[in-house]
Amino acid sequence: MPDDDTTMNFDSKRSLGAALRALPTSAPPRDLWPGLARALNPPRRRARMLLPMSFAAAVLLALLWSLPIEHRVSPSATPSAAVVSTSNVSAPMTDSPADRELDRLRARSQMIERWLQATSAQAPHDGRDLMAAAEVEDMVGLVDVQLSATRNDSDALPLWRQRVALLEDLSAIRAAPAALNLGDANRGLASAAATL
Amino acid sequence: MNVSASNFQIEIPETVLARARRGDNAAFETIYRAFERPAYTLALRMSGDRDDACEIVHDAMLRVLQRIAQFRGESPFWGWVRQIVANEALMRMRRNGGRVFESIDAESVELHSNDLRVEPPSTSIWPDARGLDHALNALPSLTRSVLWLYHVEGYTHPEIAEMTGKTVSFSKSQVARGTARLRTLLDPLKEAASCLMTTPP
Repeated sequence: MPDDDTTMNFDSKRSLGAALRALPTSAPPRDLWPGLARALNPPRRRARMLLPMSFAAAVLLALLWSLPIEHRVSPSATPSAAVVSTSNVSAPMTDSPADRELDRLRARSQMIERWLQATSAQAPHDGRDLMAAAEVEDMVGLVDVQLSATRNDSDALPLWRQRVALLEDLSAIRAAPAALNLGDANRGLASAAATL
Repeated sequence: MNVSASNFQIEIPETVLARARRGDNAAFETIYRAFERPAYTLALRMSGDRDDACEIVHDAMLRVLQRIAQFRGESPFWGWVRQIVANEALMRMRRNGGRVFESIDAESVELHSNDLRVEPPSTSIWPDARGLDHALNALPSLTRSVLWLYHVEGYTHPEIAEMTGKTVSFSKSQVARGTARLRTLLDPLKEAASCLMTTPP
């Protein structure tokens, strides 16, 4: 409510305020919603890649099922889906640089996924972040499909690199709201401490 | 959705807000449609330009919808939306520089002490909406904004001072001077008299 001031009397304020409030409201000359909707959901940069990748994955799966079972890699060495824990992944103990990198990538993948699971419940998202996160999760899923079709570690290595990079993208999307939450929590603690 | 007498006082159901927090596009549109007119009216009154007002509404509502997860519900949602729209309008006015971020200063209008105190205008001085609209648009943008925020949106002088980055006395003087200017603009006889009394250079 307007506070009192000494420059005008009550009648003046009331009459001018009432006259201004009585002015008709205006609508925008054009519908602004389509532009807003576009700004809220920008065209997906990677969407063009998604269809060909899905097709490639489908072909790969078909090939996989046509292969004799003994040529497939152990399911325990591949992730099952996007943002699903890989805690049961058992990395073989080897000494070659490629194997060491593979071990390191699997460990990093597990670590990021644990963090994502821990923050997914508490981190609020705006619409754009949710869309971006869903898109990256789709792509992680596609990489997992390809990983499940690999026959050896040298084939799997670039896919694990890609998987970790995508998980890092996903964690970056989640990081901002989580940090905000943390900031709010800290502020809450500070104010609680101040009242004690 | 309950719409009260004040344009911005629109209650958005908590279910719609919850959906919007989850990024639901339909909920976004519901919220935008609810505040479309009050937001545009405020932006237009403050900026005085239709194109600027459209851009203010676009940018402000984008900010509202992108940050809706940060709305904690400690104050009414409509108040949060209105604050963002008003801030966006003031920011744009500042960005546009002195051309539009103008106010009535002490020298630009000859005011007698009575103008700032107790001269009660007759209630019939404000009846013509078209005339009032025209006179309002003739005010400098910052004066008009302060007048509108104070009289129509109900902000206090300290709140207006904080929003505009000016002092409380500046806000009070803009309300007083803006009112006096409106009164002059709406009273042709007084305006003509003041013209006749002006000494030629």
